[in-house]
Amino acid sequence: MSAPATLDIGALRKVFFPATANEVVALNGIDLEVPAGQFVSIIGSNGSGKSTLLNAVAGTFPVSAGKIVLDGRDVTRQAEHVRSRTIGRVFQDPRAGTAPSMTIEENLAISLLRSKRSSLRRGVTNRRRDVMRAQLARLHMGLEDRLKAGVNKLSGGQRQAMSLLMATIAEPSLLLLDEHTAALDPKVAATIMQLTAAIVAERGLTTLMVTHNMELALRYGDRLIMMHAGRVMLDLDAGQKAALEVGDLIEKFHEVAGEAFAVDRMLLE
Amino acid sequence: MQVIISNALEQGLIYCFMVLGVFLTFRVLDFPDLTVDGSLPLGAAVTGALIVGGHSPLLATAAGVGAGMCAGLVTGFLHLLLKSGESDSTNYGPKLLAGILTMTALYTVNLRVMGRSNIPLLGVETIFEKLGAFLSLTMVGWNLVLVLVALAIVVKYLLDWLLHTEFGLTLLATGDNEQMIRAMGTNTNFTRIVGLAIANGLVALTGSLVAQQQGFADVGMGIGTIVAGLAGVIMGEVIFGMRSISWVLFSVIGGSIVYRFLIAISLRLGIQPTDLKLLTAVLVVVALSIPTVRRKVVRL
Repeated sequence: MSAPATLDIGALRKVFFPATANEVVALNGIDLEVPAGQFVSIIGSNGSGKSTLLNAVAGTFPVSAGKIVLDGRDVTRQAEHVRSRTIGRVFQDPRAGTAPSMTIEENLAISLLRSKRSSLRRGVTNRRRDVMRAQLARLHMGLEDRLKAGVNKLSGGQRQAMSLLMATIAEPSLLLLDEHTAALDPKVAATIMQLTAAIVAERGLTTLMVTHNMELALRYGDRLIMMHAGRVMLDLDAGQKAALEVGDLIEKFHEVAGEAFAVDRMLLE
Repeated sequence: MQVIISNALEQGLIYCFMVLGVFLTFRVLDFPDLTVDGSLPLGAAVTGALIVGGHSPLLATAAGVGAGMCAGLVTGFLHLLLKSGESDSTNYGPKLLAGILTMTALYTVNLRVMGRSNIPLLGVETIFEKLGAFLSLTMVGWNLVLVLVALAIVVKYLLDWLLHTEFGLTLLATGDNEQMIRAMGTNTNFTRIVGLAIANGLVALTGSLVAQQQGFADVGMGIGTIVAGLAGVIMGEVIFGMRSISWVLFSVIGGSIVYRFLIAISLRLGIQPTDLKLLTAVLVVVALSIPTVRRKVVRL
C-alpha cells in the first residue's frame, strides 16, 4: 500500500525501430508534471503517442531519452514488474486485465499480493475473501456471491469492472487507464466510467486516463491534455476545461493538428 | 490377466510424474517444453551411474531429480536469451527452440554421465529393493503398484499445495495472462524458470524410476517422451474432466494410466512395439484436431 504519488516526466522520447526505414518517433519530448492525486485525461488522434506515453510510464519498453520520476524516485530504467508493484493499469481489452481460466477469487488474490513478494503461504485465505466480497459488492454485479466462478464466464463489462478493481485494490501510487471503456457497449462503458471516477475520488489516486472520447475527457478528471505527433499540444486545468464544450475541443484539435502539420511542412522545406 | 493389469498400472504410475511435468509446462505455463525427451533419460543416467558407483539408491534418485531440475533451468535461461520482447507470450518459437537446444545438448550429457550408451542395473540394489527390504515385502506386482500409488498421491498433493500458494497463483497466471501478471508486479521470467525446473524434475523422477524398475538406463529411452506425455494429458482431461486444478491433477494421473493400458492392449493385439510411437503420434493428432475439424464441418 502506498500513498498517491507525484509523476514528473521530463524530455521523454521514444523512437521505435530507430535507424531503419520504419523509424517512428512516437514520443518527441514530453514534459509533464502531475501533482499527487490529480486525475489527468489525455486525448489525441491515432498515433499521437498517448498510449505509448502510458506504456513508457509503466515500463513496457525502455525509452530512448528523458526521465520518468515517480514519487521523487527516478524509475526510468526500472524493470516493468518492479514498477508494477506501485502502478495500477487497466487496458482497453477487457480480457487483458484478468486471467481467464482462473477463478474470481484467485484473480483478486493476485491483485491483493501486488505490492509484496509472493510467498509459499496459501493464496486465497478467508481473510482475503472477506476483503474481496466487500470490494466486489461495490460493483453491484453480484460477483461477491460467485468467488469460485471462472473469470471466462463473465461478460466484458464484468471483466473490465474486475480489472479496475484489481488495478486499484492494493492502493497503487499511480493509476494508468488506457481507453479502458472503449471496447464496451455505451451503457456498460458509462457504468465503468462512473465506477472509475468514484474509486479515483475516494482514494485520491494520481491517474492518467487515455481516451478517444472528447466528452469523457471533458466530463472526468481535473486536467486535460491533448497530444499530437508525440508532443503535448494543449494543457488545460480544471477551470479552463469546465468552460469548454465538445465543439470547442474539436476546434482546438484542428487548430493544434493543423499547426503541427504546418510546422512539419516547414521542416521539410 | 492380473499380470497385464498390474503391469499397466505400474507403467502408468511410474510415467505419471512425467505426464504431470508435461501438464505443468504445456497447460499451466503455456510452454511446449521439448526438454523432456532429454531430461527423462538424464534422470535415468544420473541415477544409474550413481547406483553402479556404489551410492545409495535414495541419493541416486534424488540426484536424478535434481539433474532434471537443472535441465529445466537451462531451458528457462535459453528462452530468456532467445526471446526478443517481453510482450510476446504467445510466440512459441523461442520456447520450442530453447527446449530443442537443451534436449540435443542433453544427449551428449547423458552419454558422458553414463560413459556408454547403456548401464545395466541388474544385481544392484534399487530404490524398490531398498523399500521392499524396509517394508519386508517383495516389490513386484500389486505391492509395487500400491507403493507407486502412495508416491503418486504424495506428489499430486505437493503440486496441488504449491499451485494454491501465493507463488502458485502467479505461476498459473504466467501461463494464463502474462501481460496481466506482469502488470501486477510479478517477474514472469522467474516464475517460468521455476515452473520449468519443477516440471523437468518430475520428468527426471520418472526416468530414474523407469531405469530402476526395468533394470537399465539407456540413452535412447527418452525418445517420444513429449508425445507420450501429451497423450496422457489429453486423455486425462477428456476422460476425467478438468473442473479444477486439484481435480485435473488426478485426471492427468488417470490419463497416464489409461495410456499405458492402451499400449498394453495394443501389444496384446499383436502390434509391434516399434509401431507404438507412430500410433501415439496419430492418437495425439486426432485428439488435438477434433475441435478444429468439428468447427470446419459445422461451417460446411
